Amino acid sequence: MSDPNRRPVSFDSQNIPSVLTELIFRLKIKDVMSRKVITASKTESLRTIQHRMKAENITGVPIVEDKRLLGLVSMHDILTAFDEGTIDEPAERHMTRSLKVLEDDMPLSFAVNYFNKFRFGRFPVLNKDRELSGIITIRDINTTLLREVNRIVESLEDELNRNTPEGQGVNSRQFYIVAYDFENAGRASTEIKKILKGQGLDRETVRRAAVACYELEMNLVVHSTGGKMEFRMDDEKITIRSSDSGPGIPDVDKALEEGFSTANEWIRSLGFGAGMGLPNVKRVSDDFTLVSEPGRGTDARAVIRRPSAL
Amino acid sequence: MHFPEICRALNCKEYNRGKDFSDVDVRNVTAGDLMSEVLVFDLEKMLLVTSLNSEQVLRTADMVDAVGVVLVNEKEPTQAMKILAGDMGITLLNTAQSMFEACAILHSLLNGDR
Repeated sequence: MSDPNRRPVSFDSQNIPSVLTELIFRLKIKDVMSRKVITASKTESLRTIQHRMKAENITGVPIVEDKRLLGLVSMHDILTAFDEGTIDEPAERHMTRSLKVLEDDMPLSFAVNYFNKFRFGRFPVLNKDRELSGIITIRDINTTLLREVNRIVESLEDELNRNTPEGQGVNSRQFYIVAYDFENAGRASTEIKKILKGQGLDRETVRRAAVACYELEMNLVVHSTGGKMEFRMDDEKITIRSSDSGPGIPDVDKALEEGFSTANEWIRSLGFGAGMGLPNVKRVSDDFTLVSEPGRGTDARAVIRRPSAL
Repeated sequence: MHFPEICRALNCKEYNRGKDFSDVDVRNVTAGDLMSEVLVFDLEKMLLVTSLNSEQVLRTADMVDAVGVVLVNEKEPTQAMKILAGDMGITLLNTAQSMFEACAILHSLLNGDR
């Protein structure tokens, strides 16, 4: 069942961020594994199993009898069977019997070590009664770690927002924007607009702030390596600031010209990159500053005065 | 013009009915696929006509307080778009008409209404 071409996973616990190390030790294999396991019985032919693998889009099928794990048929076994003309023979004759298995109560670090040590694509997982309770792949680990890291980042962001000092009549929020994340692009602006609307501001002011915010946010998604949106409102004005750490704008004056764009076709096909972004922000703002340096990053600040303060 | 008339004239499929679906008086139409251009116009009670089916269409519509979005060329909105339209209270429609045809029909509807 080994895939000799598979490269070892680069989960080197010495060189990964501590947040991941902590997760790998805190999570148990049962939190990560797939519980729905596609299995086969020992009497089924390798051909039937191969069809099942194709239909379910999987690369290994545990052979099970009364919840007991007898062996495993992997893609490798199937290829060998085709080669040797044994594809119509029952699984029990050709399955891999000496299996490396994990237990569902073990910390995830055990699975990571196994993937590093043995070049297998998956490991069957047994419960304390030695019954097959799941199967774990690198994909399961990646998905869970990403989800958990997202959760941690979200709670850190919440904490940051709570810790921002809030004076009388001051409303402020921060959002972290991920480069090329088109699915969430614009979410910060939608939130900020909701806050402004909730403050009972007039339609025109809300619209101007929303447009400035949205264009700056889209710029972070499309052009930067990721950055931060800050929104702050006091009795006099609304300030929207976007900052990123790269790559920076080579010619700021040029970037402020209508129709000038460095966006590629792919970005244009998503409805952006018309060269209107920064000019739009400037147009709707009472005060707009843009500071940028190639290799360092960009800092943009748009101020919209509240009508009562004009 | 009102959404029920628009739906009849363009033979629209409805994916979301915004607030005041029947009562809101649509007074302006902006057509295009470049969202930054859409953001330039400050038009009240606006309908956005586009052939782009991405979530950014709805986010853009929300930023400019548009009351509805019509997708032309029978473009199907994504699931995420339908959810966003519901959250934002924006009417979401599609039509088999081309951008040109849809605009022509809306233009005469808007003028006849005036």
